Amino acid sequence: MVPHILLVEDNAFVIGALRLLLEETGHRVSDASTLTDATRVLREDPPDVVLLDLTLGGEDGLTLMTSIDANGAARPIVVALTGHDDAATLERCTAVGCRAVLVKPIAPMKLKSQIAEWLGERGAT
Amino acid sequence: MTRAYVDDVSAERLASLQEQNLELSRLAAELRNEAALRTQFLSNISHDLRTPLTAIITHGEILRDGILGELTARQKDSVGGIIGGGRQLLDMIGEILTYARGAAHQLTLTRTSFSIVSAVEQVCALSESLIAKKRLSLAVTIEPELPPLYADRDKIAHILGNLLGNAIDFTLPGGRVWINCSRGASTERGYVMLVEVGDTGIGIAPEHHELVFREFAQVDASASRQHHGTGLGLAIARRFVELHDGRLWVESTLGQGSRFFFTIPVRSAP
Repeated sequence: MVPHILLVEDNAFVIGALRLLLEETGHRVSDASTLTDATRVLREDPPDVVLLDLTLGGEDGLTLMTSIDANGAARPIVVALTGHDDAATLERCTAVGCRAVLVKPIAPMKLKSQIAEWLGERGAT
Repeated sequence: MTRAYVDDVSAERLASLQEQNLELSRLAAELRNEAALRTQFLSNISHDLRTPLTAIITHGEILRDGILGELTARQKDSVGGIIGGGRQLLDMIGEILTYARGAAHQLTLTRTSFSIVSAVEQVCALSESLIAKKRLSLAVTIEPELPPLYADRDKIAHILGNLLGNAIDFTLPGGRVWINCSRGASTERGYVMLVEVGDTGIGIAPEHHELVFREFAQVDASASRQHHGTGLGLAIARRFVELHDGRLWVESTLGQGSRFFFTIPVRSAP
């Protein structure tokens, strides 16, 4: 089955770039620009991986982790996307269960290989 | 003068002083609020500028990496220019934000124990392609058995990166740049680590030795044109060093290269 990736990001140009990259490298992509939309996708079409922007307008992206925990479906791998990789951000993301923190702009080939690696781990569990 | 008159004057003065005090507290709170608003504004602007830039760079890298099909060499060069320009702009936005945070006294230290060798190696690796491009030679000398630093690793790497970046930018092709780390002067509470970042570049006249640490300072307009920074690199480096209770200074003669030194007090992890 084609892996499903949920992209939670509020900038249309960033969504466009990441969607292009992910679709071209063999993934199915849903996108959500608000936490409400993201929660709906999580419920209706559970993804394998969530790429989660930490700043969504005025909302803190990490609050989505509560919906993921409450969702009940197989827990997706959540990867935080941020502009800063300072120690405080890393700590905040790991504390709520993010698998990794990627600093934007993410190198396409790196993202491709990391997603393959995470999906591999997920398949193995 | 009667006692009652003196009491009246004192009470009047006291009331006036209390009023002035209140006014000063109000002004101080207002200033603090303004500084916080300014930093928040810069932080928001920085995020808003970075986001579309991220999209531009990612699109460029998708093309460069051949994900949409192979490019010709000239097409790759052109896309490389988009990515390079974008990344440079991204770094500059980052520096402006760091500076704004520093100016608003919102920088804090996250101390960990680490070896200075790892920070130097990281910074050298990031500068490798620039050094090769200018055919510079880079020498690193680290005194054996230096103890680990208990400091903010990101900020120490940032200081080293800014100093090495300057050394590379202001040294002509074929020149030398170097980094030396050694045990420095003893202090009441131990000693300091002394780091030198030097070059055989264009040098700085003595009257400009302090000016270069001022934000947006341009000592030599023609040299600055080739230098792609924000004019904040050394101001930020000095602020980061001072946050660690260290000192950053330069020794240089025009035309004979520069040697930047900084000290970080060596302290053990609690």
